Amino acid sequence: MNQRMKSVVTLLAAACAMGLAANASAQSAGQFSAKIGAGKITPEGDSGDLSAPAFPGSKVAVGDATAPVLIVAYGLTDNISAELGLNLPYKLKLSGAGTQAGTGQLGTAEALLPSAFIQYRFFQPEAMLRPFVGLGVTYAYFQKETGSGKLTALLNTGGPATTFSIGAKAAATLQAGVAVNINPRWFVDLTVTKSKLEVQTRYATGQTQSVRLDPLAVILAIGYKF
Amino acid sequence: MRQHHFAIALIAAAALTACGGDGSSGGNQTQKTKFSAQVVFGDSLSDVGSYAVGTVKALGGGKFGINGDLTTVNPALTGKNWTELMATQFSLPAPCAAQTGLEGDSTKGFAVPIVFHAGCTNYAQGGSRVTNPVGPSHKLTGSPLGALTVPVATQIQNHLSVSSGKFSGTELVLVMAGANDVFMQLGGLSAGATAAGSASFGTTLVGSLAAGATNPQTAAQAIGLALKTESARPGRTDASVIAAAVGAAAIQPGNSAVGAPAVYGPMVASAQAAGAKAGAAYFAATSPSLVAAMATAATELTALVKTRIIANGANYVVVNNMPDIGTTPSSAGYDAATLALVNAMVKTFNDTLGTGLASEPKVAYVDAFWASHDQATNPAPYGLTNVTTPACDLSAAKNPLGSSLVCNGGNLIAGDVSRYAFADSVHPTPFVHLLLARYVSKYMLQKGWL
Repeated sequence: MNQRMKSVVTLLAAACAMGLAANASAQSAGQFSAKIGAGKITPEGDSGDLSAPAFPGSKVAVGDATAPVLIVAYGLTDNISAELGLNLPYKLKLSGAGTQAGTGQLGTAEALLPSAFIQYRFFQPEAMLRPFVGLGVTYAYFQKETGSGKLTALLNTGGPATTFSIGAKAAATLQAGVAVNINPRWFVDLTVTKSKLEVQTRYATGQTQSVRLDPLAVILAIGYKF
Repeated sequence: MRQHHFAIALIAAAALTACGGDGSSGGNQTQKTKFSAQVVFGDSLSDVGSYAVGTVKALGGGKFGINGDLTTVNPALTGKNWTELMATQFSLPAPCAAQTGLEGDSTKGFAVPIVFHAGCTNYAQGGSRVTNPVGPSHKLTGSPLGALTVPVATQIQNHLSVSSGKFSGTELVLVMAGANDVFMQLGGLSAGATAAGSASFGTTLVGSLAAGATNPQTAAQAIGLALKTESARPGRTDASVIAAAVGAAAIQPGNSAVGAPAVYGPMVASAQAAGAKAGAAYFAATSPSLVAAMATAATELTALVKTRIIANGANYVVVNNMPDIGTTPSSAGYDAATLALVNAMVKTFNDTLGTGLASEPKVAYVDAFWASHDQATNPAPYGLTNVTTPACDLSAAKNPLGSSLVCNGGNLIAGDVSRYAFADSVHPTPFVHLLLARYVSKYMLQKGWL
């Protein structure tokens, strides 16, 4: 009973708020918007085995990372937008996994994941809550791949410092989110994206490793409509 | 308008960040623990040149593997063993043998005075056992090489005697031993079984050959003497021994019929069967004692690690268990019973050592057995191209010792052997030493030491 009452109250409040925001000019045709926020990516894939010469089952795990993001959008129509996302580098931490589990953090790399989407935004531009879905592409670019004494000890004990690089790769990305219009200019939104992304890591030892990142990104941003 | 500028500025800032450069780097190579030194106890697998003197040195040898820096031929042919790679990784000086010398045949250049080298802390010597001072190629085995084979127990004592009886606590201690206990035990078993078989063969044959003589007792004495004399003659063969016995039998009064192949042939066959049976019986009866001896050796090594190394102050002790001897080329010719015995000896040693050191926090216990077994049975992921053929040409013409101790770029077999597993019948190539160093590093990382 209590639960049901709460739901009703929430619905009423939402409807009320929508009504109040009815005059907001939210991402309509021909309008630019820009938002900045924080993105958190969580790699959800796993790595393949390190190529020979390696102990079988030598894998790598990639940790979560958070970075500032900037996203601009343009309303093609009242319901269809084009969006371009940029981020400051996500600093990824690579750790030993599989048979190398417990060896700790072996390296870091910075990921830039610029993305472009075509979005469909539900409801009218003036609606306070505008859920949206998008389909797009992410270009994963990696830089400043940095090894460690640990990585060298594991891959080429007594040898020169082991460097590595991760190849850039484009990936299909799905997006879903909701924007909340605070007033006619300002809004906050929450976006979740999921990419299908498998990258190739190449070590200075000549070994390679495919790493399925399949990142799930959650982005909370505040934006402004121009 | 101003707002548009703001957006453009933000995009520009992000784009600039993206162009920050693609600098891959090795990163910080400093390890978590700064080791002050590396102290090594063990056998040929860790020896960095105890016998690199006299003729061994002249032959371009000194370490058990493929000697010499041949990286210009192939980057994998570093000439280094795992202890050298570990030392380099930890920015320590190249390890040097704590003691050098040979006690062998002076006419062959294998008698070189024993010298202790101050400041050198790699005590591992080819042939060394856990506590028994006589290992393979030791002078007491009759070997012309005269390997020192100072046992691990004495190696530790030698170190303590030059370090005020203490470990500093900041050094890395590497321990790997046990295989030579297997080899020496097996050698003893083989000799014993052969002797038992020969004795039974001789007794049976002499009895059969003498049975038809007028005076079997006298005949048996004469035949036995002939057999014994021929058996002791250098260059004798099984056939020559039989011929001598038959010849002696046929000239005994009333015994000429035995000289016919149809008569003595079956006698020889049954004597050989008796000999084989006696040899097998000796093997079966003696095998359990070999397995027990390996348990003893492992218990002794466990005690050395605990009471001589850790109790005297060492904090970082890597103990490698015994590699899989059953998959080395040396075991390729073994019959099923011998192979089973070898496997049981190795397993017993490792089980005992592993259990003994399981709860010792200052030990990184490395399952070298697993690595070597997997490399031999599943070589592809390791990049190994051959796990059965020695990379060294061990023929007498090319390798006077028939050992990787004097194997180098000048006496390898033809072809690319850089990723072969074995240099000779038991010793790994530099490439496998790198795999071992990497494997040990993994354990040290998991231990939180690096």
